[in-house]
Amino acid sequence: MAEQLAPQRQAPGAFDSYTKPVRDTAKSFWEGMSITLSYMFRKPMTTQYPDRMSVPVSQTIPARYRGFLEVDMDICTACQACERACPIAVINIDIVKGDGKSRPKLNMERFDIDIGKCMYCGLCVEPCPTGAIQHTREFEGATMNFNNLTLRFVPPAAAPWPAYKVPKGSEAFPRRPLGEITRNLMHAWDAPPPPFPTDAEIAELDKKADHGKPKVAGLDPAAMGRQLAAKALEVKADKPKLQKVLEEAMAGTDCGDCGYPDCFGYSDAIAQGKESSTEKCAPGGADSKAMLETILVSLKTGVVPGPAQPDAAKPEAASPAAAEAKPSGPPLAQTLSKEELYKVVLEAMAGTDCGDCEYPDCDGYTKGIVYEGQKDLDRCAPGGEDSRAKLYEIMLGTKPPPK
Amino acid sequence: MQAFLDSLIRNAGHDPATWPWTQFVYLAAMGAVSFAVINFAAITAGIFSWAERRVAARMQSRVGPNRVGPGGFLQWVADAVKLLLKEDLVPDEADQFLFRIAPYFMMVGFACVFVCLPFSHRLIVADMNVGIFYILAVTALIVVGIIMSGWSSNSKWSLFGAIRSAAQIISYEIPAGMALMIPVMLAGTLSTQGIIRAQGGWPWQWYVFNNPAALVAFLIYFISALAEGNRTPFDLPEAESELVSGYNTEYSGMRFSYFFLVEWGNMWIMSALASTMFFGGWQIPGLSPEHFDALTGGVAVLAEVASLAIFAFKTLIFVFIVMWLRWTLPRIRVDQMMNMCWKYLVPASFAGVLFVGVWMLIVHAAPWIGLVMRLGLTAAGALGVTLFALRTLKNIRDTGDKFDFTSNW
Ligand code: SF4
Ligand code: SF4
Ligand code: SF4
Repeated sequence: MAEQLAPQRQAPGAFDSYTKPVRDTAKSFWEGMSITLSYMFRKPMTTQYPDRMSVPVSQTIPARYRGFLEVDMDICTACQACERACPIAVINIDIVKGDGKSRPKLNMERFDIDIGKCMYCGLCVEPCPTGAIQHTREFEGATMNFNNLTLRFVPPAAAPWPAYKVPKGSEAFPRRPLGEITRNLMHAWDAPPPPFPTDAEIAELDKKADHGKPKVAGLDPAAMGRQLAAKALEVKADKPKLQKVLEEAMAGTDCGDCGYPDCFGYSDAIAQGKESSTEKCAPGGADSKAMLETILVSLKTGVVPGPAQPDAAKPEAASPAAAEAKPSGPPLAQTLSKEELYKVVLEAMAGTDCGDCEYPDCDGYTKGIVYEGQKDLDRCAPGGEDSRAKLYEIMLGTKPPPK
Repeated sequence: MQAFLDSLIRNAGHDPATWPWTQFVYLAAMGAVSFAVINFAAITAGIFSWAERRVAARMQSRVGPNRVGPGGFLQWVADAVKLLLKEDLVPDEADQFLFRIAPYFMMVGFACVFVCLPFSHRLIVADMNVGIFYILAVTALIVVGIIMSGWSSNSKWSLFGAIRSAAQIISYEIPAGMALMIPVMLAGTLSTQGIIRAQGGWPWQWYVFNNPAALVAFLIYFISALAEGNRTPFDLPEAESELVSGYNTEYSGMRFSYFFLVEWGNMWIMSALASTMFFGGWQIPGLSPEHFDALTGGVAVLAEVASLAIFAFKTLIFVFIVMWLRWTLPRIRVDQMMNMCWKYLVPASFAGVLFVGVWMLIVHAAPWIGLVMRLGLTAAGALGVTLFALRTLKNIRDTGDKFDFTSNW
């Protein structure tokens, strides 16, 4: 206490330290205020969106921006690679098939992209063989009605839209300027939304709906399959011609989804006997598969299957036991899935794992027959006539030829 | 005001002293004037809210609200309508009665100040002979309103804000009051009109350049007024980052808008007071108040309008400075705020009062010293403003930009 009360000698600079804040304040006012005022008299950096831009914003953003998708229908091959690639089922393509003569082989009734759902991942753009589907730089999705956000690339008036057939060997495709198509579709967004149907109308629509019935305009894959099979039988020996016939059963988009560069690659491989799977043409889907199988079977058997048979045989063939009891009809190989077929074939072997068939064990031989196209069914020595008969029955639907 | 009404009654051919309707005329005039004044306050506050947003935006290189009406000018109307239509929530736990009336205390304290604020040579609601005292007294009502709102909200944020505000206003009342005493001493009157009349139209006749102490007093007054009005850098009572929104956190709708009305209206009050006390108010350069009084007819009306324009212009400059400060300075800490008040402003204002007392004696003995000092300070002030303007231009050029005030509004 005493110390504090004693008159203190002023520390040198006490006045300085007292006035320093004042000087600092004055200085920082001088600097700071002149800076803020200088901004007052400058043009603001902000550009005003959207109506005071000198060019539309979508033209100022980088070219590789992932905005709304756009499909140039003139070069879309209807391969549906984009539809398959989309992880969240944003793209919907409805395909109608034609016979390739009176109407194009592949037609699109609908090509919708729901922009309201799209997450702009770009996965659909990558597999497109022609670059028909691309991201534009458009991004302004404000609309009065959410339903309007679905971009319909096949104009309802122009449906069904024929798929583009890629000229052989072409690498560049004549694409319309990016963004034009989507911008046109976006103009329709301001239109009033379609009214919601009433309950009565929905019931009416339900009645009319063709649940499961083949489309009138659509193609009958079974009939076409028989047609092709007949053709294939005629040219059985001539591999290039056979390839032509087989190619007709494919979707013809040259998308490469089958693992071959194009449809020619896949069909040629089948014609040469290098490829036995009929399931690889994804764009063709079940139709292509069915046609290919019909052709292959008729090539094997030399007979074109009758029209009604496949349908009749199918339900019974579902269980192997029933199929064995009923030898007529198409062979199990055509009706069962590979996994089921594998089981049935394995049953037919003697099961000794002897290796006499030149495979390491029964499993190997079975796989060879089912998956790798092994044509020789006579190798299972331990099984003898018994195994042979079963295998011929299963794979070809015939009696084994005498030895 | 009363004299004006009396002259009206006399013109109508009655004697105000004996005419039975005199009191009713007074009453009607009171109602009309209060209505006009409160509306003036509300509308200026609204316009300032728009102006502040535009100024803030420009200072931050933005554009600001510019869609409603020309240049966004009607934004404040839209905001006001929105606030009026919003639900007026009262928290369950709040002290219902106090919570509801607190905004009105603020409004009353705020509106009462306008009674003594001059607008032009003749335009003033009441030229009281204790004008400055009155203003200092009624502004205290605002702190009552703030404390009430903070307490009754029953929320920690609100209470903190209110207590900070009380501490701040009470502290800064002292330097503000002392600083205002300096023009009062120089003019020898507390009446606002009297103080303006004692100054002159030219800058060297303004009190701010009268002597160094008066210049300092102006700065002290301005700082304290910022603090009392809760303006940045003294916006601690409503520091968003710390207290959500301070004492008005729990308010919504119309009651909330009162707080903001008071805040923005306060900008007019502090600026008008600054131009009244230190910057010659409505004085027209080259026209002495006596001559002004003597004018008649159209010239008088013209001069009246000119004085109104001059006063408004000066006031708006200060309003701009207040906004400008807000968008320049960060908020200071509570301890810094108290330090500044008690260690710097209070001693300086007391010293200033003493200095002015002595100075008045000196000038009385040798008037030329006063004249030299006034001219010198005016020159220094002009030099400062010029240097500042050059500095600002340099700031613009240094960044490779150019002076452009007109584009992109
Ligand atoms: S961008 Fe992604 S989410 Fe959108 S459609 Fe293409 S794959 Fe689907
Ligand atoms: S061509 Fe491109 S856009 Fe058309 S279906 Fe195939 S992947 Fe989709
Ligand atoms: S055969 Fe192959 S390339 Fe041709 S459409 Fe089918 S999957 Fe695509």
